[in-house]
Amino acid sequence: MGSYLIKRIISLIPILVGISILVFTILHLVPGDPASIMLGTEATPEAVAVLRAEMGLDKPLISQYLHWAGGLLQGDFGVSVHTGEEILPQILKRFLITLQLTIMAVVIGWTLAIPFGILSAIRSHSKTDKVIRILTLLGISVPNFAIGTLLLLGLSLYFNWFPPIDVVHFWDDPAEAFKVFILPAVTMGIVVAAGVMRMTRSAFMETMDKDFIRTARAKGNSQWTVVMGHALRNSSIPIVTIAGMQIGYLLGGSVIVEQLFSIPGLGQYVLDGIYQRDYPVVQGGVLFVALVFVLVNLIIDLIYTWIDPRIKY
Amino acid sequence: MKKRVLASFFLSLSLMLSACSGGGSAPAGDSKPRSEGASQTEGKSELIVAVDQEPVGYDPHKVPAASSARVYSLVYDSLTKLDANLDLVPGLAESWETAPDGKSITFHLRKGVKFHNGQEMTAEDVKYTFERILNPDTGSIAKSYFASVDTIEVPDPATVVFKLKTPDAAFLTNASASSASIVPKGSTDLTKEANGTGPFILEKSEPGQYVLLKKNPDYFNKELPKVDAIKFQIMKDEAERMAAIRAGKIDISAVSADSAKLLEGKPGIQIKSYQSLEYSYLGINVKKKPFDDPRVRQAISYAVDRNQIVQTVWKGEASVTGPIAPALTSWALDPSSYPSYTPNVEKAKRLLAEAGYPNGFDTVIETASTYPDMVESAQIIQQHLKAIGINAKINQLEWGNYIDTWKSKDMNMMVGRNTSGVDSDRSMRYFFSTTGSANVWNYSNPKYDELVQKALETVDVQERKKLYDEAQKLLVEDAPNLFLASPKNFYAVRDNVDFSPTAAGESTALVRASVKK
Repeated sequence: MGSYLIKRIISLIPILVGISILVFTILHLVPGDPASIMLGTEATPEAVAVLRAEMGLDKPLISQYLHWAGGLLQGDFGVSVHTGEEILPQILKRFLITLQLTIMAVVIGWTLAIPFGILSAIRSHSKTDKVIRILTLLGISVPNFAIGTLLLLGLSLYFNWFPPIDVVHFWDDPAEAFKVFILPAVTMGIVVAAGVMRMTRSAFMETMDKDFIRTARAKGNSQWTVVMGHALRNSSIPIVTIAGMQIGYLLGGSVIVEQLFSIPGLGQYVLDGIYQRDYPVVQGGVLFVALVFVLVNLIIDLIYTWIDPRIKY
Repeated sequence: MKKRVLASFFLSLSLMLSACSGGGSAPAGDSKPRSEGASQTEGKSELIVAVDQEPVGYDPHKVPAASSARVYSLVYDSLTKLDANLDLVPGLAESWETAPDGKSITFHLRKGVKFHNGQEMTAEDVKYTFERILNPDTGSIAKSYFASVDTIEVPDPATVVFKLKTPDAAFLTNASASSASIVPKGSTDLTKEANGTGPFILEKSEPGQYVLLKKNPDYFNKELPKVDAIKFQIMKDEAERMAAIRAGKIDISAVSADSAKLLEGKPGIQIKSYQSLEYSYLGINVKKKPFDDPRVRQAISYAVDRNQIVQTVWKGEASVTGPIAPALTSWALDPSSYPSYTPNVEKAKRLLAEAGYPNGFDTVIETASTYPDMVESAQIIQQHLKAIGINAKINQLEWGNYIDTWKSKDMNMMVGRNTSGVDSDRSMRYFFSTTGSANVWNYSNPKYDELVQKALETVDVQERKKLYDEAQKLLVEDAPNLFLASPKNFYAVRDNVDFSPTAAGESTALVRASVKK
C-alpha cells in the first residue's frame, strides 16, 4: 500500500511535465498575441513591440518555456502578463470558490441520485422507474446554461429574487454563502445527479441479480437490509468511479455556470486567460487543474480498497 | 400546464430560499445588497454598475481597453475635458491660449489641485505626463495623438507651454482623452496602483468580482461627484445583468438594443439611450485584386443597402453613417449627400463589368464571432453582394485571431467596428491617411493625405470643416471602407437613479449621476 502510494506519486512527475509541455506548445500555436489583444485595433507596431518585450514574449519559445518551468520548480507560477498579478494566490483563491461550489453541487446531486437510482433499480420497469428515467434523460440532455438561465430569469421575474452579487465563503457567513451558491449548485447538481443516477441504477440491477443477494433474501432479511446491507456496498465501485470523474471535472471549474452566475472560480480565470492570451495564467491554471484531477483519481483508487477489501495494491 | 409546473417549481425553490434567508424576496427598492467593502450607513449613496469585462490594469497611458478606461477615467483628470455635448471645457487647465501662428499652446493650471496621496499637482507633473506618453519605451497609444509636440516648457508651477512642430487643431480635444490623464511626476508602474486627481479614488479591486471607487472628498469641483461610491460589478452574462437590474441588485447596466426592448416599461427600470460614436464598417484591402480597382469598390458600395443593416442588425436603433459618426453633429456630412448610399444594383453590375468582372468573383469576408452584430452585418452584405455576382464566404474569427488578421494588412474584406473619436482628425487621418496607424487597408491617396493634414493644421473652425467635408466625400468615393451604421447605446437604469449617458462617455455621466432620495 505504502509503496503503491509512492509509485503513484512518482508517476505524477512525468504526467505533469508532459502536460506542461503540451499546454505551453498548444497555447503558443494558437494565433493571436497578448500584446495586440491588449492594445486592440488602436495599436501601433512600436507600442506592440514595447509591450511584447515587457511581457517577455520577444525571447525564443524554448527559453520562455524553461524560464516558466524553472519558476514552477521553485513554486513560482509567475505573474499575469496583463495585470502583473501573482498567479498562484489567484489560482488558490479561485479554487476555494470552485471547491465550495463543487461540494454543494455534489451534495445536491448525490442526495437526489442515489436514493432515486436505488429505487429505480429495485422497482425496475415499474411506473416509478420510467418517470425517474425520463427525468434522468432530461437532466443529461438539457444543457446547463439553459437550466441556469431559466432559474435565474424565472426567479427574478416571478419572485424578484436574485442571488447576492458578491461571493461569500461558507466559513465567513454560511447563510449568505448558501444563497450565493445555491443556483449554480442546483444547475450543476442536476447534471451530476443524472449521471450518478444512471450508474446507480445499472450497478444495482446487476448486483440484485447476484447469488449472494438471493442468499440474503433466503435468510429472511428485509428488503431494506438486503439493499442497504448487502447490495449498496457491492454496487459502489462503478458509482464511486463515475463520481470521482465528475468531481475531477467540476473542480476544474464549470466555465459556463461560473460565467452565468458571475462566480469568480477557476474555470472563469482560465477562460479569461485564454481570451486574453495570458499565457502564464492559462499554463498555470491548466497545470493546477491537471494536478487536482490526478489527485482526485488517486483518492478514488484508495477508496476502492476500503469499499472492497479484496482489492489490493 | 407547463407554465404551472414551472411556476410551482420556482415557488418551492424560492420558498426554500426565503426560509433560509429569513426575509423572503425583498421589494425592488430597498434590496440594496450588503457588500463586504462598502458600508451602507445612513445617507451614503453607492452606485452599482454592471460591467461585462474585467479591467486589465489601470495605466492610462498603456491600456486602451474600455474595461480599464472606464475606471481610470474616473480616477484621473486630463488638461481639458468634454462636456455632455462634446464641447471643450476646462479640466486640470483652467484656461489656455493658442499662439496666432498656432505653433504654441499655453495652459494655465488650476491651483491647489491635489493627487489622491495629498501631493499637489503642478506643471512639472503635466510635463512628466506628456514626456511619458511621447517616450517610445512607454508604448503609449496616445503617442500618435501628440506627434506635433516639439518641446514642453514650464515657466512657472502653474503654466505649461507646448511648442508644436506644426499647428495642431486636434490638440485640445486630444488632450481631453483619458489616455492623456495627468499622472504624478516620477510614476513608473501604474498597472495596479492609481494616484490621480480625479473625482474618485481607486479603493479596491477584487479580480473576477468588482472594482470599488470611493468619492474623492478633495475634488476640485466641489459639487461633484454626487455619489459616495461607485462599484463596478463584473457580470459577463447579459441574462444575468438583466435579471439583476430587474431585481434591483444593480443600478446601472449597459444592455443590447434587444434587451432594452425587453426591459422597456418594466417596473423600476428606465431605459436611456444615446447615439454612440461607434460605427460598423466593411473594410476592403485596396491592394488586393480585384479590389485594387476603385470601380469594384464602388460597385460594392452601390450593392450594399445600408438601411437594411440599420433595420435588421440594429432593429432600427442606429443611423446610416459616413466616415465621421453622426454623433459628431457639426462635423459629419449628411449620408444622403453620398451618391453611392442609394442602392443601385444595375449601376453596380455595370461598374463591375467595366472593371472586367462581368460575372463577379469569389472572395472572403472576415469577421469576429465574438460580436453577433458584426456577423449579422457580414451576412447581409453577403446577400447583397450575391445580387451582383460576388460570392463572398464569411469567415468568423475568434477575437485574438481577428486582431491578427486586421493587423496583417493582407485580408480581402473585413467587417468590423470603429470608434469615430471626438475629433474629426481621428476619424479621418488616423484611419485612412497613408501613414495613419489604423490604416490597415493599404489605402493611399495623396490628395486625401493633403486634405486631412491641412485640416489638422487649420485652427479656423469653418475652414477646417470645409476641408473635412471634401475629405469625407473623397473617402466615400474611393471606398477603402464602406461605412455602414452607427448604433445607439442603451442603458438600463433603476428608477431612483439619475444617470444620463451621452456620446461623451459613461464616465462623464457617472460623475454627475445621483441617487434620488
